[in-house]
Amino acid sequence: MPGIEEIKNGLKKKFKDAVVAVEEQSPTRLFVDIKSAKVREISNGIIAMGARYLVSVGYDNISRDGTLGMIHTFGFDRDGIFLALRTSVPESKPVMDSITPDIPNAGWSEREYMDLLGMKFTAHPKPKRLILADDWPEGVHPLRKDIPWNLMPPAAEDVAYQLDECPEGCSIIPVGPYHPTLHEPAHFAVFVDGETIKGSDYRGFMTHRGIEKLCQTQLTYNEIPFVAERICGICGSVHAATYAQAVELAAGIRISRRAEYIRTIMLEIERIHSHLLWLGVAGHLIGFDTVFMQSWRIREPIMWLGERITGNRKTYGMIVIGGVRRDITPEIKEDILSVIGKVEEELLTVKKAIQGDSAIHRRTKGVGYVSTEDTMLWSLVGPVARARNVDIDVRRDFPYAAYDEMKFDVPVFDSNDVWATVLVRLLETFEAIKIIRQCLDKMPNDGPILTELEAPIPPLRHGLMAVEAPRGEAVHYVITGEENAPDRWRVRAPTYPNLQGVPLMLLGNQLADVPIIIGSIDPCFSCTDRMEIVDLRSGAAKTASQRELEELSRNKR
Amino acid sequence: MLANLIKKAFPKSLWVYHCNSGACNGCDIEILNVLTPYYDIERFGMKLVASPRHADVMLVSGAVTRPTLPIVKKAYDAIPSPKLVFGIGSCAIGGGCWFDCYNVTGGADKAVPVNYYIPGCPPRPEAIIYGVALALGLVEKKAAPIELKQMEFPIDMYERNKAWEDRNVIYEMLKD
Repeated sequence: MPGIEEIKNGLKKKFKDAVVAVEEQSPTRLFVDIKSAKVREISNGIIAMGARYLVSVGYDNISRDGTLGMIHTFGFDRDGIFLALRTSVPESKPVMDSITPDIPNAGWSEREYMDLLGMKFTAHPKPKRLILADDWPEGVHPLRKDIPWNLMPPAAEDVAYQLDECPEGCSIIPVGPYHPTLHEPAHFAVFVDGETIKGSDYRGFMTHRGIEKLCQTQLTYNEIPFVAERICGICGSVHAATYAQAVELAAGIRISRRAEYIRTIMLEIERIHSHLLWLGVAGHLIGFDTVFMQSWRIREPIMWLGERITGNRKTYGMIVIGGVRRDITPEIKEDILSVIGKVEEELLTVKKAIQGDSAIHRRTKGVGYVSTEDTMLWSLVGPVARARNVDIDVRRDFPYAAYDEMKFDVPVFDSNDVWATVLVRLLETFEAIKIIRQCLDKMPNDGPILTELEAPIPPLRHGLMAVEAPRGEAVHYVITGEENAPDRWRVRAPTYPNLQGVPLMLLGNQLADVPIIIGSIDPCFSCTDRMEIVDLRSGAAKTASQRELEELSRNKR
Repeated sequence: MLANLIKKAFPKSLWVYHCNSGACNGCDIEILNVLTPYYDIERFGMKLVASPRHADVMLVSGAVTRPTLPIVKKAYDAIPSPKLVFGIGSCAIGGGCWFDCYNVTGGADKAVPVNYYIPGCPPRPEAIIYGVALALGLVEKKAAPIELKQMEFPIDMYERNKAWEDRNVIYEMLKD
């Protein structure tokens, strides 16, 4: 169990000259500058120390020193330490080693910067286009600063994504882009032998709207939380809170305790609404519409409560840098208590019904099995990981807002299947209710809800923040900039790592279970795609159309 | 006039196909929400269907992104005529706050002809029901469009963009 000193000394001792500088921003944040040639070796060294890979951040630093920056971030769950491994490559030769062969979850991050920044990664196992549209021209990288945010290259007709090679003797079943079980556009190609799944390929990023680019170029610090909420309509507050806390961390702003409590309450209210929503959708996906109707009926008072607290049923617009915008008055406090009490009571009935329902057991038990080792290797997060016996929860491991004073359990199961994710989410809803009660109980009665900033936010500070969203951890990385706007803002939604684990979950299952397996990660493509464009390399302007796929699969057969 | 036509063209139950063209999920949840016990749109005979082939009405939510543009068009073509299109939420109306981003083509009208718009971010379930009921002639119209003339744009953003375009090499690269 290494402390921050041990990590520092261990890295210096092992890699000597390759470690250029070490900056200890706070007892929980460590920034290490390294030489780009050793990036793979040092990443492996950090993983060997017991860290978990989070995300990579690439940024355009050409105007300052002619380089493209790359930051790999890691979290030491047991010690509550985040580590950012910073390196850079010259713009003229933007090539560095890929860390994906050892850390498979880095695959998407690296592909993202191949598209958006034009970096190259040697030995990347799948260097295909990920984010940009298929008809996006080669050599135009939208995240570079010389590209305007509203650049619109003309559409091309004859480009389409090349799916992975279908295994011998298998057929391709296209799922999506518009499919009854996916409420958002994304394309899965499932390779089946009879009914058994032998592999899959994913072409998503269809709801990439370019939010990161927009916010870096057009908006100022305190406008971004509202756009951040619109990254995802379900877990909006999470993104606003993560962003605000990352900026506060980078700039060293301390906010009032009361504001932190109100943030905690909003995050937990959102968790209840999101988990009930997921429970309904999961019921719908396995054809059990009663669960759908009942859990959404229970959820509706939460939406009304949100409206009474914030003025909107979702996308609350509560959290800004420095605190929150609306107070929780004694009347609202009573209101919250009565609503969550009712929800708890009704949810208990639903929980009993679900636990005793043999149909749900048969549809979910043993489905989507992933071993605990694979879950850790692929850095899966949130309920998906906790259902596979990986005991991680950002609220407990890296406490933020008022979670350091909260007492709650983190449900962990070891059956490694979809059933366990149902249980984890059900139990977490009860924990969320518990946390809200504690918050209302312990909340300090005075103190400003919004702290005025004394000085402008200094440029070129780095802030890394993770928040436990209903789906897992959301990680934001902020580099502050001049002119009252961030220089770089990277969002990693929880679906981003979990979606990379879906091929693993699908493997060996029946085709009929595809919807519930994909549904079990509570996919939120809009979060995941926030800053990317979808593009398929060789097809028309979109992922391969259904007809093309059908033809493809017929020909193969 | 459209309301009369609709009464003739859709005398029976409406089946609805929901198409997410790049939304944040906010509108999609509210669309699903109108099916649930509190709002229960099925009492008007409306039903959410999985395939555009079964549908009379298409609900488009979200800004139409570059990759979804052709797919949304295809989904629209798959709906048998006569058909109606509703744009749900701010993003479907004009593209929302990312209307001019590099990967967004704009509102739903950039892809398909839209008959009715339901504003909101996200629109309340009541607003969605009201919009559909208005289209069916079940309720009276409460507001009418007004022609707005904007004398000058308050921000010189467009001029700035123009200047940027003129000096930026990337546009030259794209021309050939």
